[in-house]
Amino acid sequence: MPLSDYLIDDEPYYHAVGKEVGHFEAAYADRMPIMLKGPTGCGKTRFVEHMAWKLKKPLVTVSCHEDMTASDLVGRFLLDAEGTVWHDGPLTLAVRHGAICYLDEIVEARQDTTVVIHSLTDDRRILPLEKKNEVLSAHPDFQLVISYNPGYQSVLKDLKESTKQRFGAIDFNYPSADVEAEIIAHESGVDGEIAATLVKIAERSRNLKGHGLEEGASTRMLIHVGQLINRGLPLGEACEIALVLPITDDPDIRSALGSAIAACA
Amino acid sequence: MTGPGIKDFLKVISDNGVRSDDSYLTEAAMEIFPDTYAPRWLRACRKLENAGYGAPVLNAYVRYSLDVAQLVGPDRAIALADVVSSVAIKAGRAAAESLSFAALKAAERLDKDQQRFRSWMGLMERFADLAPESVGLVLDKMDELLTKLNVSRLEAWILAGVRSAGTDAERRLAFFSFEDTEADRWLDHEAGAVVLSEMSRELKAYMGALWNIRIPLREPAANAPDHGRRRASFGPGIVRVPSAFPGFRGQQAEDLFRAVVAHIGAHMLYSGPQFPVAELKPVQVVLISLIEDARVEQLAMRDFPGLRRLWVPFHIAQATGSMTAPSLMARLSRALIDPDFKDVDGWITRARKMFYERKDEWEDPLISRQIGGLIGNDMGQMRVQFNAKSYVIEPPYRDDNLGLWDFGEQESPETQEAEQLFDSVNIEEQQDDDDAPPDRERDELEENEEDDTNRMNIDFVEEDGVPVARYPEYDYVTGRSRPEWTTIVEYAPTPGPAHMIDDILEEQAYVVNRIKSLITQAKVSQPQKIQRQAEGDFLDLNASIEAMISRRVGEEPDPNVYGRSERRNRDLSVHVLLDISESTKDKVVGSNNSVLDLERQATALLAHAMSGLGDPFAIAAFSSNRREEVRYHRIKDFGSPYGAVSKSWLAGLQGGFSTRLGAAMRHASEDLKKQLTHRKLLLVVTDGEPSDVDVSDKNYLVEDARHVIHDLAMDGVDVFCVGLDSGGDSYLTRIFGRRNVVQIDRLERLPERLPMLYFRLTA
Ligand SMILES: Nc1ncnc2c1ncn2[C@@H]1O[C@H](COP(=O)(O)OP(=O)(O)OP(=O)(O)O)[C@@H](O)[C@H]1O
Ligand SMILES: [Mg+2]
Repeated sequence: MPLSDYLIDDEPYYHAVGKEVGHFEAAYADRMPIMLKGPTGCGKTRFVEHMAWKLKKPLVTVSCHEDMTASDLVGRFLLDAEGTVWHDGPLTLAVRHGAICYLDEIVEARQDTTVVIHSLTDDRRILPLEKKNEVLSAHPDFQLVISYNPGYQSVLKDLKESTKQRFGAIDFNYPSADVEAEIIAHESGVDGEIAATLVKIAERSRNLKGHGLEEGASTRMLIHVGQLINRGLPLGEACEIALVLPITDDPDIRSALGSAIAACA
Repeated sequence: MTGPGIKDFLKVISDNGVRSDDSYLTEAAMEIFPDTYAPRWLRACRKLENAGYGAPVLNAYVRYSLDVAQLVGPDRAIALADVVSSVAIKAGRAAAESLSFAALKAAERLDKDQQRFRSWMGLMERFADLAPESVGLVLDKMDELLTKLNVSRLEAWILAGVRSAGTDAERRLAFFSFEDTEADRWLDHEAGAVVLSEMSRELKAYMGALWNIRIPLREPAANAPDHGRRRASFGPGIVRVPSAFPGFRGQQAEDLFRAVVAHIGAHMLYSGPQFPVAELKPVQVVLISLIEDARVEQLAMRDFPGLRRLWVPFHIAQATGSMTAPSLMARLSRALIDPDFKDVDGWITRARKMFYERKDEWEDPLISRQIGGLIGNDMGQMRVQFNAKSYVIEPPYRDDNLGLWDFGEQESPETQEAEQLFDSVNIEEQQDDDDAPPDRERDELEENEEDDTNRMNIDFVEEDGVPVARYPEYDYVTGRSRPEWTTIVEYAPTPGPAHMIDDILEEQAYVVNRIKSLITQAKVSQPQKIQRQAEGDFLDLNASIEAMISRRVGEEPDPNVYGRSERRNRDLSVHVLLDISESTKDKVVGSNNSVLDLERQATALLAHAMSGLGDPFAIAAFSSNRREEVRYHRIKDFGSPYGAVSKSWLAGLQGGFSTRLGAAMRHASEDLKKQLTHRKLLLVVTDGEPSDVDVSDKNYLVEDARHVIHDLAMDGVDVFCVGLDSGGDSYLTRIFGRRNVVQIDRLERLPERLPMLYFRLTA
């Protein structure tokens, strides 16, 4: 199988937060395109990995960015010493061989890039390779998953309505305090008590969302803090390095956050 | 001086020096003024006597200059005579008399440093120029002032008084007599005390982070009694915090502010509904509050154990304290939060035991009433006197607890009214709202009062303006800014006939036509070719040839053989700021139009051009009436359309008042900074030098405006000025820089010049 490199052998740790696993399975059964919504670092990527493993399908991930063109997704002719050769892009690979294709942060890509997924995400399930003069029908296992962070997109950068309405969505948010503590403990190796404190600290920063912070601290950040603590740093310093300093440059907010963190333990 | 009277003593002084009968010079004087100094000092005394300021002035000088000489040297002591003289002339005899003693105190406080003492004397001379009526007041407080301030801070404080009162001697007197509470505030500020205004943004964020409570923090009401200003207080929807805590500095002072808001947050979260005061005696109210304080803090510390480290250090009551009510209360407060505190007093031990025994019931506010009531009775039996009037709660981070109580109908309508008045003036500073990312839908923010204050669509109910923001102002003399010095008051625009604007366009058809063609040109600006792309609209010839060569020689060719052309989008926002001060009412020579008329026409044409180009733009007009009222009229905001409403407001503009340029630019740029465009341009149209009725120093507002320009440059805002005063070259270039000013010499051409200028600026 050409995509065997993309198969995930070991179970990626994922702690379900709600019913998302069942929902995803149901959507996959119909190969329905899915959009994962939620703030950064709350487990979207980990979730897709977990689902790909569970469904035993290869997973092709593309991180989207501003300069990405349609060819970066679909593929292009490259010159080599013999002449021109066609190279499938990651999306085409997934479509051809039946993988789950995960487009991370899709809104970062320009709109003329995103439209290539339109024909794949309606009932046609085809991908026209214009340059190659080929129309590729999707492999029956193929599914498209995109992630989308509704928080920090500006009006300028939003998905088109016609794109949005092609997807089902699963909403991600920070897990409940207990679950989040468990995740932090598992991923960073700190004990449950420290993990619980870290969650409490995260709540402090999340309270400032929209009031000085663009976004509260993510689970990912907390795991970083936990890792530093595991290396012997005191809690305060670990928070400073992995949470307060990265999350804002505003001195007042830094100071406020620092004091609030100090109150937690 | 001991020995012979001063009169006698002066008899021996001649213009040439000391007479031979030195016996009149006391030994001290000889010692202090050896050799050549003695005759110079005697001459100085003589001069003061001859000037006829009266004996008290002279006596004071003779008496204290000897000590001054010992501290800072004979030169300074002799020079002091000249200062006494000039103060006498400008500020009167009483002030001159006070000066010598104040000089002695200054010499002591300034660590006998000659240099600093000289600066101090210089400052006193200048002060006598600026505010002669107030010199005496300040001199009498010199000792105390200099315990808090060094000379440059003293100068800054004096200037704060002078600048805030402007030319109004009565107001200066109020300031320097400390009748005006601003004097204390600025004293704290200059003394480097940590003040609320510097902390409030952080404290609000702290409250938000810790308790998820968002509430305005204000200083105590202006009319609050003195002891009411020393502690925080909270009520529904508002928290009042003292502007500073005397005696606390640096880190400790900052922590004290944090402790205050953390404590109040604990009340808000864990204190239930207000307790009815009903028949309770003052001492009972205080004790119940004390238990309640302890209770909510215990609950808060369960959730946030780190708060103990914040609060406990402020509990400094000692077990050995006296048996007065305030002392016992402070000790009990400590006993209830600090497990390491040992106090064997029976009353305290009992109360402590009772409190901890009911640990499981801490969730229930009722226990505060019960325990507080019981220990109140105990205290009554101990015959300890309690004076509610003089009582101030300890430690200082605790609020006055008025917020816990329901006083029934007692609240006097006066205080309520005063509070409301105060609130309407003291609107939260602008920055509050900027926490939210600018591009986010902001509806979630609208639910709380404070975030709402700076929204542009305030409903203007009345003709009166609405104070919306405060800004610092820069004082070039001290080289520092005074925070929250100016208040922006936004006024509802007066509607005028909107067709007036369309008429202008019609009259200026020629200009409109040129604008039209310029717009088309600007829109189809030269497309730029981007070469060597992996894909594109055309083959990049050079790259293609290179690729072919590579292939021929058997190398792997570079696949980037395409090119494409891209049109550069205009990416620019503009804020037009119009000066509509009194002078714009003047008729332009040789024309029927006033300056303002021409500004209006020019703006109409400019707006026409801007909306044609699709550049986001805003228009506002300003004038000022002292620092408390920088008048600001929004004609068009960035988000709103340029339509009949904006046009009618532009048509309705009326001139008046002064030109506090810096403050207006600060306010305008706040909107501009939120724009997401690559370029941000503030276009200022002004007809005269910055000025205001409360400012006599000509350089002051010019330098402030210059400072704003400097700051804006750092923020990536370009500022360009269109000057309508042919004589204004010098100060406008000083403010904006030579390249950022254009003078319109023939004013009647402004309407056509302005849009053209705009095209040039933004090409
Ligand atoms: N529910 C969860 N179960 C297991 N791990 C989780 C979970 N949520 C978050 N994590 C941990 O948080 C880290 C960040 O999650 P992930 O990378 O999936 O975030 P994301 O939502 O994809 O973020 P972004 O939007 O920035 O890509 C993961 O590496 C994982 O360790
Ligand atoms: Mg209290």
